[in-house]
Amino acid sequence: MWSAAWRISLWATLAFALGTMLVFLFLHRFVADDVQRRSDAWLSGEVEVLGDVAERTPKDALYDRVVKEVAELATKEVPNRLRTNSGQNDSVFFLQTADDGSLRLWVGTGDGRSNLIAIRASGIVPDTPSDLHVRGFEIPFRVASIRLDDGTHIYLGLSERDELQLLRNLRLRFLLLWLSIVILGFAIVFYSTRRMLGNVQRIAEAASRIGQSDLSSRVPRTGHDDEISQLALTLNHMLDRIERSMHQLHTITDSLAHDLRSPLTAIRGKLEMSLSAPSKGEQTESIVSAVEELDHITEFLNQSLDVAEGQADALKLHRREIDLEQLLRVMIDLYEPSMSEKKIRMELHSEGAARILADPGLIHRMIANLFDNELKHLPASCMVAIRLRNEAGAVVLTFEDDGPGFASEVALHVFERRVRGPDSSGHGLGLAFVEVVVRAHGGRVTACNRKEGGAQLSVSLPLASGTRSPN
Amino acid sequence: MRLLLVEDDIEIQSFLQDSLSEAGYEVEAAVDGKNAKRLAIASAHDVLIVDLGLPDMDGIELILRLRHLGISSPVLILSARRSVDDRVRGLEQGGDDYLTKPFALAELLARLRNLTKRNLPSSSELTRLHVLDLELDMVRRKATRGGETLNLSPQEFALLEYLCRNAGRVVTRSMILEQVWGMRILPDTNVVDVHIYRLRGKVDTDGLQPLIRTLRGVGYVLQDR
Repeated sequence: MWSAAWRISLWATLAFALGTMLVFLFLHRFVADDVQRRSDAWLSGEVEVLGDVAERTPKDALYDRVVKEVAELATKEVPNRLRTNSGQNDSVFFLQTADDGSLRLWVGTGDGRSNLIAIRASGIVPDTPSDLHVRGFEIPFRVASIRLDDGTHIYLGLSERDELQLLRNLRLRFLLLWLSIVILGFAIVFYSTRRMLGNVQRIAEAASRIGQSDLSSRVPRTGHDDEISQLALTLNHMLDRIERSMHQLHTITDSLAHDLRSPLTAIRGKLEMSLSAPSKGEQTESIVSAVEELDHITEFLNQSLDVAEGQADALKLHRREIDLEQLLRVMIDLYEPSMSEKKIRMELHSEGAARILADPGLIHRMIANLFDNELKHLPASCMVAIRLRNEAGAVVLTFEDDGPGFASEVALHVFERRVRGPDSSGHGLGLAFVEVVVRAHGGRVTACNRKEGGAQLSVSLPLASGTRSPN
Repeated sequence: MRLLLVEDDIEIQSFLQDSLSEAGYEVEAAVDGKNAKRLAIASAHDVLIVDLGLPDMDGIELILRLRHLGISSPVLILSARRSVDDRVRGLEQGGDDYLTKPFALAELLARLRNLTKRNLPSSSELTRLHVLDLELDMVRRKATRGGETLNLSPQEFALLEYLCRNAGRVVTRSMILEQVWGMRILPDTNVVDVHIYRLRGKVDTDGLQPLIRTLRGVGYVLQDR
């Protein structure tokens, strides 16, 4: 959720920031051009006036003073003028060259030589203002010139400092404003995205919780009538339907079980009564086998329904803490005589107590099925190694034998219902039952043939949290 | 001992009534909740046997109503439902018991005995068990027959102990699995039989009267006469 909120707000902010930056660049360009046009207009106007004055003023001793005076007056009317620290006027210069190109009149900071050198080097065309870089000045001048009839040139330079200062101020203010807007925008987008995604997250969490355990609860609504709320609504509709079908399945299996069990009970009762009645003689054998068959049918019925429910993820679990190691020891004790009668040896390799939170009834039957499976399918004089180890939050129980292994035609399907080996006497439910029970507990089960020969069945179940104790 | 049997299936009701009477119980029977309530109020019963699927009301509801009326006799619930209801679990914790159909008669009788024994001193406090010439020392976990020590494993001792406690009564395989190994499972292999076979090899040695008898199709019984 965090990363998604981050990503969304980051991209949105980036797009917004880039957009506003572009708009600003256009504005900046426009303002800069406008300022320059205005100062160019001023320069051109002034230089013309100065030229006029210079031409009309008689070339006598007063000429220099008059032109200088007028030039100084002109430089005081600079547009967009800003105060300088030094107090003297270094933003404007006036320069007149003699017809041989030497400096004739100078108004401005310094002696004007470097300005003259720069003017000569750049070859300024009269009547069009252009930039002039002068040694000793960081900021270029904008220079307009005019050629007088007597062959002299008049140059009027205006430092671009004020203009640049203006633009810099503009940029600085924009940048501050831009940054705060971007940060604010990011915060707003992030906050709202996170809130929205938080709702999605809560829905996801609730859905997964419902999927794992309780089908009767529902995903929370957000309260707004938006897409997220729609999602919750859709999910809840879906859950309603799932719950209904689940309920139907339970009803069907329950009523099927009920309808079959009542007659089975009556039949079994009557058979038992006739067994206990005296002098039945030769009929006893057939009654006994009828009772045994009936018990098989019952167990088959139970397991079929469990497997059907399990495959529909509808098994009801009543979890308690179970120590698998202890359970295995009891099971080994229970199966040892039957195994040793077939000369099958069993070995338990355990790392110690392995506590899981599971339904005891189902786990007992699941483990019994694993033992039954070995007992039924292993030829005499084989060996079963039962390993129990803890592995990354799970208990892994492995049954390895050195028998013939799974027949190749069933190897991939051993956990499917009704799949059994070519010479199996079982009803093909045992391992399917193992699979559904393990899956219902959030575990995994795998089966394969070992390289060394023999079959390997591996069951992994989630460990009860924080209960691993060394042996 | 008076029992009230509430079961709507007539076939089951009739065979239960017969076999329970044969086992020495006095049985009153009802086919629905209304009649059951009437009978339960009219006279006291030591145990109630209640089927969950009654035509007029749910078995659990009947039990709760009877409890509400102050009838506190223990209840044995018969259930044809597959999954054990949470409410049944609740009652089970309250001291009642349940049995899923179909069941072996021996198991029904054993559970009835457990329920009625509830208020009596438990035989598990005995330090010694005697059945004919068989003697079990519960403190040292040693068994002797005719004065001769039997060399039993702890599990075999537990099995023999269970048979002795139920001497003269039939126990089924699933009862043995539940009581001795603590598991409600029904393996489709002969694991219990092999245990019994081994135990018999140690208890009923040549020349002695065989004590452990197999009742085929039903279970086992340790003879007490």
